[in-house]
Amino acid sequence: MVLLEEPIKEVLVIKNYIGGEWVESEGELRNVINPATCKVIAKVPISTKEELDAAVEAAKEAFPEWRRTPPLARARCLFRLKELLEEHFEELSRIQTMEHGKTIDESRGETRRGIENVEVATGIPSLMMGYNLEDIAVGIDEYVIRQPLGVFGIIGPFNFPFMVPLWFAPYAVATGNCIIIKPSSEDPISQFKLAQLVEEAGFPPGVWNVVNGDRIVVSAMLDHPDIVGICFVGSTPVAKNVIYKRCGETGKRVIAQAGAKNFILVMPDADLERTIASCMTSFYGNTGQRCLSGANLVVVGEGLSEHEYSAFYDKVVNAFVEAASRIRVGYGLDTTVQMGPLRDKSKKERVVKFIEKGVEEGAKLRLDGRNVKLVGDWPHDCFLNPTVFEDVTPDMTIGREEIFGPVASIMRVRNLNEAIDMIHSNPYGNAASIFTSSGKWARKFQYEVQCGNIGINIGIVAPMAFFPFSGMKDSFFGVLHGQGREAIRFFTESKVVIQRWF
Amino acid sequence: MEEPNVTASAIIGFAKKLEEDSLKFYKELAEKYTQGKETFLSFAKESEKNKLLVIRTYQETITDALEACFIKGLNLNDYLTEIKLKESMSYTDALRMAIELEEKASKFYLDAAELSESLLATIPTAFRKVAKRRENRKLKLKSLLESLM
Repeated sequence: MVLLEEPIKEVLVIKNYIGGEWVESEGELRNVINPATCKVIAKVPISTKEELDAAVEAAKEAFPEWRRTPPLARARCLFRLKELLEEHFEELSRIQTMEHGKTIDESRGETRRGIENVEVATGIPSLMMGYNLEDIAVGIDEYVIRQPLGVFGIIGPFNFPFMVPLWFAPYAVATGNCIIIKPSSEDPISQFKLAQLVEEAGFPPGVWNVVNGDRIVVSAMLDHPDIVGICFVGSTPVAKNVIYKRCGETGKRVIAQAGAKNFILVMPDADLERTIASCMTSFYGNTGQRCLSGANLVVVGEGLSEHEYSAFYDKVVNAFVEAASRIRVGYGLDTTVQMGPLRDKSKKERVVKFIEKGVEEGAKLRLDGRNVKLVGDWPHDCFLNPTVFEDVTPDMTIGREEIFGPVASIMRVRNLNEAIDMIHSNPYGNAASIFTSSGKWARKFQYEVQCGNIGINIGIVAPMAFFPFSGMKDSFFGVLHGQGREAIRFFTESKVVIQRWF
Repeated sequence: MEEPNVTASAIIGFAKKLEEDSLKFYKELAEKYTQGKETFLSFAKESEKNKLLVIRTYQETITDALEACFIKGLNLNDYLTEIKLKESMSYTDALRMAIELEEKASKFYLDAAELSESLLATIPTAFRKVAKRRENRKLKLKSLLESLM
């Protein structure tokens, strides 16, 4: 066991960052727990509506000057931030492991993806350009100019406390808007640290604000007339029935990324060894707590006889179970650990209920993660080991609903058409992958499957920062997505100018 | 015997320590055996560069989509080697020790590259580059040894 040094030595008291000042909240303080050690590592304020209002005022006040700041100068703030993020790369990564529980490799991956978004946004002088055409009629020219809109709210989820706000924030400020981030109250330390670096990078006061809290802050954001748009990542019920609905009622722009139930197809011609290795990250990476996680592993018998299919199915299932059973579970700061704890005890209890439901509904439990075995001596409160069910059908609760934990459901399907129908029968449409050596099957899959992120021999279909993080059906509510050029369009208004001189 | 699983961070941590230990070892060699001083100091300097290359490549490549936690079949204990110089050790024995270090190190980088090929994007390329440097060192050390025979 090689345990890396913890960067948080004593209990941090998180403050809000409003108008360039570190402000103590008047709201109650809640404990932030390291889920691996169960120790309190920080206290986070549950801010009031008035504190959110103060942040909006600060952002509104900063907006006129910030939008007039040349894009190149705004980009330079981002370049400085990027340098600071690189300097603090390891510290930021270890903080994520401490506050969320993910392994250090996963945290470093999250830090890198966050930084990539800052890097992409530094290209704002090019990315924000409009376009024009002379002589749309004789002597008349027409232009499109991209202009910022004002103040945006960004509501972060618990599963990627550092990265997800950075799908939006760099693009928002690069285009000349001001932002208020509300981190998850479960793991707010990454955004606290990020705001410190933002301050050091020299962003003007009020451009980047952080208000900690829970639904009071979210409601205040949704209702505030001076917030022009909301970016949200979280569950489908909240995305659909609260965020999207309320933004529609109040006329706000919205990106609402939601839940998922991702299918991974294994075709008979797949490279099994690589497929299984990829599936381990897909199903158990981040302890299954991500909207791109594999959930249902579908073993497809296209072109096989009954006997051949049975042998192929057994081979896949056995290899999957064997690999999953050897995953080392423990504290993510131990570099030999491959899977960390769930974010908290209640999340573990929720996953356990799904496992019980799977057994009750007749799925075959091949690997029971409730038998917790850890690397190191840690309290078991938030830990589960990998779980595998086989003979799962799409109508079973575990085959249908998002579990958000380290549970794999293996399903049987005779051909690709049936598998695609099965994917479409599920309300979610976040990601789907196929493992195959056939270009024909891969193209059919890519062409027909109604999911926003498609993987061909890829287990985690996480788009790079210069591509949109897509999503369809009940996995996404809105029009434009986070990251890259779509984010630039989301954070700008296209103004048309038609010009004639007499 | 069951093949062990290993994480990218464990491999990178091992590589970092390997280069740090090598740096220290070659500095000691340079102090103790003036015959090969320049060569040993250049190896020490190169180990510092190797460490930076591996860490930088890892930190710039790792993302949440890579299968970084599930590299199969690499037992890091297989690449450990004793590199503590004894007081009375002859120059020839010290060179032999260095050759063994380079053989193990080169094998480690090549095996790590092969096993992480499909999981870690550009990191195996960095591993191969360092393996090549280590292989070159071994050849140089062998020629130093042969010149004494």
